[in-house]
Amino acid sequence: MKFAYKLSVSAIALAMMTGASFAQDIQIKNPEWWQEAGKKFDGATLRGVTESTPASNYVADVLAPKFEELTGIDVQIETTSWDQMYDKAIKDMEAKTGIYDMVYIEQDIVYAYLARNFLVNLTKALDENAELKAPEYSEDNFTTFAENFRGSDGGLYGVPMEAFIKVYLYRTDLFNDPKIQAEFKEKTGKDLKPAKTHAEYTEIAKFFTEYGKANGMDLWGTTAQAHTGHPASWYEYFESVAPTYGVYNWGIDANNNYAATVENGGTMNSPEAKEALKWWLSMRDIAPPESVQSTWTEVATTFAAGRAAQGLVYGENAAWIATDEEKSRVVGEVGVALPPLEPGVLEEAESGKGYIGYYDGGAFGLPVTSKSQDAALLFMQFMALPEIQEDWAAAGSRITLTSTYDTPKVKEVDKELGGYYSMLRDDGKLFKGAPEYPFHRQVIEATSPTFYEILTGSIGPDEGLDMMAQKAEEELKNLGYRK
Amino acid sequence: MQSNRLGWILLAPTLVILFFFGVVPFFYVLWLSFHQWNPFALDPAVVYNGADNFRALVFDSGFLASLGVTLAFVFFAVLSELIVGYLLAQAFLKDFPGKAIFRTIHTLPLIMAPIIVGSIWKLMTTPSIGIIPSLLDSWFGFDLNIGTSAVAAFTVTVVMDIWHWTPLVTLTLIAALVSLPADPFEQAQIDGANKRQIFWHITLPMIAPALLATVFIRLMDALRTVDEVLMLTGGGPGSATRYLGVHIFKEVFPRTNYGYGSAVSIIVLYLTIVSCWLLYVALIAPRNKKA
Repeated sequence: MKFAYKLSVSAIALAMMTGASFAQDIQIKNPEWWQEAGKKFDGATLRGVTESTPASNYVADVLAPKFEELTGIDVQIETTSWDQMYDKAIKDMEAKTGIYDMVYIEQDIVYAYLARNFLVNLTKALDENAELKAPEYSEDNFTTFAENFRGSDGGLYGVPMEAFIKVYLYRTDLFNDPKIQAEFKEKTGKDLKPAKTHAEYTEIAKFFTEYGKANGMDLWGTTAQAHTGHPASWYEYFESVAPTYGVYNWGIDANNNYAATVENGGTMNSPEAKEALKWWLSMRDIAPPESVQSTWTEVATTFAAGRAAQGLVYGENAAWIATDEEKSRVVGEVGVALPPLEPGVLEEAESGKGYIGYYDGGAFGLPVTSKSQDAALLFMQFMALPEIQEDWAAAGSRITLTSTYDTPKVKEVDKELGGYYSMLRDDGKLFKGAPEYPFHRQVIEATSPTFYEILTGSIGPDEGLDMMAQKAEEELKNLGYRK
Repeated sequence: MQSNRLGWILLAPTLVILFFFGVVPFFYVLWLSFHQWNPFALDPAVVYNGADNFRALVFDSGFLASLGVTLAFVFFAVLSELIVGYLLAQAFLKDFPGKAIFRTIHTLPLIMAPIIVGSIWKLMTTPSIGIIPSLLDSWFGFDLNIGTSAVAAFTVTVVMDIWHWTPLVTLTLIAALVSLPADPFEQAQIDGANKRQIFWHITLPMIAPALLATVFIRLMDALRTVDEVLMLTGGGPGSATRYLGVHIFKEVFPRTNYGYGSAVSIIVLYLTIVSCWLLYVALIAPRNKKA
């Protein structure tokens, strides 16, 4: 039985790797305009590269064929791993080969792309080519997340295609079980409800890990995105955990000569950062064993397999975890809450001084090296049409237009998701994307070997963060940002 | 004279392709290795920095650690592949029930892309849910966790490489063994030589050229292993499986440290050539001298 269960978990993982397929029928409001606009590009082929996520798979499987049906323009979307996606896109734009007409730009890389002048200013391009501007397309339709993709000239450099927050997911079936509630009360003297502080979260996590062990269940108290050789662990700590302890922007102070060490005015190795890391490591130790090999995808799979009672999970996965019976064992049993925080962090977020978690997402950008820029402009506007957003949001837990929140399917899924979309709309302002640095991957790669050593226990967290802060400053000096 | 010209004409397309896809990139990498270039630096210009990249390598603990684990990986993987490959080649020379099916199954890993091999092994070895840790736990109570144990991760990458590449060794050695003349073996048996003596004094010297060619191929491949390991462990836990190929990949692509990454690539190429030359000198040159 146990073996069969493990096999089914592996099958879920396999299903995640092969991607999802969708079969919705989309009705476009003004098909004549699209048919007419597509005429001069008939037979053209557009190529895009993106990360294999539920939202991107929807573009490849549903939107691209629909667009071709309307305009005659063939759209080939390559969905691949996160690393490969960057590798391919950057190589193409750097070498000016012009293979891709659309590249996925994650919010954290856009600053690097803008610094390298890789992307076309879409606002300007559409102003200069009025005949290509779709009547229903408007930049005013976007949520404020689109502001992440504006250049210093105010132009939009990417059409937002996914946006989500990394939320605290918990199992409502476990949290609402009277027997479990009574046992928790007996052990802790407290009511079982989603944690608001790290201390409460720890208590719940320990309780469920012990509960799983005592009852012979494959159940642990928390998830952990703690891969010991992939930057996903680095991201979880710096973008989701450290901010809940009041350590923002990776602990690097851009206004203070990009200082990272406390000695120079940074906070990467501050007492708060060290406390945050120790707390996260203690959670990792009571998470499912696969956590040490988990990136964001595997964390979602772990939660969907019913192996964790609570955890921080990327919102892009929330919808399928809560609704897709083919992939998830916890359908209808998922609740969402704000991440646990240290005292004062929520107030700092509300006042705009800090933030409580990660607001992630991405856009499709048009490389200046594309050989089919006009046709690509059409497809990008197509992705931003209000009428295609509803099914896309339901399939990929993503919302990029304000009008999408009020669509019937989104409202329905919002209930099943325990109010995830409402949280995205109402509390999204408390979360923040990655810092506006053009050197993301460089600092991560310079510091992550030390971080992985901390995860394996070869280096202690205090000593490790000191080394990382030092390394970050060295790298920033080599790159010329730190004087 | 005419046939000589015809030969060059027939060779020309290959030489042109080799020039553009082999020689030009090599000299480009060599040129880059003497420069500092990070396109995401504040100043993304390519700046000549002499031998600074090579000098930095000597003091780079990350590179030195990577070099150490790579050499260990190459040693264990290639040696195991030779031994297992030879034993399987000998087995396949004999008849046994199901030989054809077994030989086909045994060859299958060879046709798989390394990234697929990495994915398969990742699914099989994911702590607690993969089939291998699950069986090891049920049968022996052994906790295999490639996410925390450096030894486990290293061992699994070696086993994965053996699984993937032993068929190549087997096929090469089968070809070498079937082409050996029967006379020396019959003569040795008549003279009363035992199996071990026949192996050391007749079989091994006679298949040495094929064996050496296989070792060269596997050595070069193992020194530049990237995809499988990147997929399986990402180079972790810590830097336990950050082999030179993975190290170069991380320096060049995510970190965009093109100059330094090129210098590491040149050193790896140099190491490969030196290793092959040493093997040649140790195994083949003495025999040629005797002859």
